[in-house]
Amino acid sequence: MSNHIKSIIFAAVLSIVCGSLLTLASTGLKEYHLKNIALDKQKNILKSVGLIQEDKALSTDTIEELYTNSIRQMWVDFEGKIVPKQQKGTKDLPVYLHVKNGNIQSYIIPVDSRGLWGRISGYLALKKDGVTVSGFTVYNHSETPGLGGEIDKRWFQKNFAGKKILDDRGKLVSVAIAKGRVADKIPESRQKNFVDGISGATLTGKFLSGGLKLTLIEYEPLLKKIQKKED
Amino acid sequence: MKITRTKAFKVFFTPIWESNPVSGQILGICSALAVTVQLKTAIVMSLALTFVLAFSNFSISLMRNLIPRNIRIIVELTVIATLVIFADQVLKAFLYDISKQLSIFVGLIITNCIIMGRAETYALGNPPFLSLLDGIGNGLGYSQILITVAIMRELLGAGKLFGFQVIPDALYAAGYKNMGFMVLAPGAFIAIGLIVWLQKTVSKE
Repeated sequence: MSNHIKSIIFAAVLSIVCGSLLTLASTGLKEYHLKNIALDKQKNILKSVGLIQEDKALSTDTIEELYTNSIRQMWVDFEGKIVPKQQKGTKDLPVYLHVKNGNIQSYIIPVDSRGLWGRISGYLALKKDGVTVSGFTVYNHSETPGLGGEIDKRWFQKNFAGKKILDDRGKLVSVAIAKGRVADKIPESRQKNFVDGISGATLTGKFLSGGLKLTLIEYEPLLKKIQKKED
Repeated sequence: MKITRTKAFKVFFTPIWESNPVSGQILGICSALAVTVQLKTAIVMSLALTFVLAFSNFSISLMRNLIPRNIRIIVELTVIATLVIFADQVLKAFLYDISKQLSIFVGLIITNCIIMGRAETYALGNPPFLSLLDGIGNGLGYSQILITVAIMRELLGAGKLFGFQVIPDALYAAGYKNMGFMVLAPGAFIAIGLIVWLQKTVSKE
């Protein structure tokens, strides 16, 4: 048998063996992966309203209990009306509520934004006035670690707390990521609509700013209702 | 024959100190800089690397008489990549938070020079049992440096170990401050440099 044929046969057999091993591992562990991802989403929702802290390790049960006790999910249509769960269509938007003693504390909006290398998924939580941000978290992204990947770090996310999504005249401007530090780059009157940027990740910031704004525009009818109710 | 004179003993213990892959051969520095901010991630990374190294050495050594010379690098890479992806899947299933913190560095074990280096220089020419020992030895050598660096960095940079505060509040009150420099990559460079220096000085004698 010539050497070439031997090499090809060896390579083919090795590929099949390695391939099937990986398929086996991936299908066998899929259940655990999905469970982890679901739990991670719940954790991020809780984190966005400040119910759990970043560096505390909590057991699965504690997180699930906290989640069922204080988070409710609902759907709204494009006019901001609440849609009953049974009648929800594909275009209706999900909103999570943080409820404490029967009172709504904050509204949590899922964010699915474009990023530099892939989608960025996270949650933006608004306080009950519908204007002030109470927190922002990211649970899935494919940005470069150390650059755009910093969006999932605490130092970046904590800057969102207390920012406003409306400008001085009450127009929806969302919260944008500045190019550099807010204190140096943005005029005083608009600082409440910006958070510090990440150096070396201008594009990630640009895409995420755009994604946040698009998401908030979709939810504007609902937000208007919330804001009016508070006045 | 004393156990310290056997070949297996030598194969296992030389890479742990004398020809340590990180401080002796200056390999695998990239990950040693990246994942050593916290002790926890460093330990998980060490375990993952030792696992991959041991089994890649073992399986390549098993096939060493079958592997066609002209495609041996590709074969080595396939075996290593399979093991790395497997380790990554297991971490994602059972240690999801840590695997998120390690992000791409688990995947980058594939490019860690230690693994390719051991496969090329050792596993291709030695029997499976010795190769397995060599893999574990090198893995532990790497782990030892990673963990030492991580202890230095987490302790000096954040005053914690495993996420628990170890430096008492009284010391902070007396004016002690965390060394923010240690949290950044240059801090790891200096820590590794000190270890290399220590190792060269001690093993000369």
